[in-house]
Amino acid sequence: MYDLSSVLDFDALAEVRPGSSILVSGPAMIGKEKLVYDILADGAKGGDGAVVVTTSDKAANVVDEFRERVPELQGAQLGVVDCRGEGGANPELIDGVSVHQVSSPGDLTGIGIGITKALEGLHDSGRERGRLALVSLSTMLTYTDKKTVFKFCHVLSSRLDAAGYIGVFTIDSGAHDQQTIQVIKQAFDGLIDIRDADGGGREARVLGLANEPTDWKRI
Amino acid sequence: MSESDPPVVLIVEDEPDVAETYKLWLQGDYEVRMGQNGDEGLELLDESVDVVLLDRMMPGLSGDEVLSEIRERDLGCRVAMVTAVEPDFDILEMGFDAYLSKPIRSEQLHDTVTNLLERSEYDSLLQEYYALVEKQATLEATKSSAELAESDQYTELTEEIAEMRDGLDDTLGGIEDDDDFIATLRGLSNGEDE
Repeated sequence: MYDLSSVLDFDALAEVRPGSSILVSGPAMIGKEKLVYDILADGAKGGDGAVVVTTSDKAANVVDEFRERVPELQGAQLGVVDCRGEGGANPELIDGVSVHQVSSPGDLTGIGIGITKALEGLHDSGRERGRLALVSLSTMLTYTDKKTVFKFCHVLSSRLDAAGYIGVFTIDSGAHDQQTIQVIKQAFDGLIDIRDADGGGREARVLGLANEPTDWKRI
Repeated sequence: MSESDPPVVLIVEDEPDVAETYKLWLQGDYEVRMGQNGDEGLELLDESVDVVLLDRMMPGLSGDEVLSEIRERDLGCRVAMVTAVEPDFDILEMGFDAYLSKPIRSEQLHDTVTNLLERSEYDSLLQEYYALVEKQATLEATKSSAELAESDQYTELTEEIAEMRDGLDDTLGGIEDDDDFIATLRGLSNGEDE
């Protein structure tokens, strides 16, 4: 089981089944990325492997971010799949962390190959548990249609299930129509919804991971 | 691929004896076509072909060249590379969906073809699943929760979706390894969507 409740205090997140994929949805600038990075960093502190698939942050920034959060991080503990299409074709090593380049956020096969290599790297270093973050589905949706993204999410969830990993995927709820969000949601086991609270601050709720959806709660 | 017609396997192999052997093994379950070289293989290739068994080392067009032409044409078929030596490069990155190293046994050949066909079936199931999910989302977007609770159509859809979701993972074994994962993803981006 994976305990995410130390990052986000919900009972429904205390025992997340290996193989679960969770969508993190909320408006821009609400802290979705920070949350998924925190989830990965928290796991890494306990020895879990981490894979970050990024469509927006530079791989080097992702590595820096993790080094800062997890000073004891071992290079072989993190793999980054950089889909911005700005790097070369060959994998590179940034500060001991292997980075796999993908030509574009719309290159699903390429992203799959990058993830496969990152998982292989973690497996070879003996990590049996791990967490994958994909930031963000919103970028992918601008490169390819929602049907393809939906199918991609389903297939990736299935791969993570076989590996016993968990996945956290971010989506900008303000960037897509309600129907798109509804559809994409269905490719996941659970949902963490974040929004601005009345009177300032933020609140969240968790759906799909426990029998009942939780109420909105200040975070 | 309609349900009554057997899936089509295209064998591209320059050694006639070897090609005949594969054909013997497969012809009971599949419609088998044979090309003696890359050019012939490409001539026999059309929308109806489900799986291609492609010999890597052939005089004339090489297996790699045939493969890139197949991917270029955006056909939905799966391609297994047949090779005399264990490949020392990443076959997935090359664009192959699977590989078989010679000598190949009958059982191995059958397993590979079955697995590749299951990838295609997985994709068409995903397609159906998506259609249901989209319908459900449309209902959710246009009706109030009270209306949804009373709608038989919505209840049925929800049940169907749950069933299908289990089916996707169970019947076809989900995504078990890296080859399955990449072959399925390649199907998604290979224009199989109508």
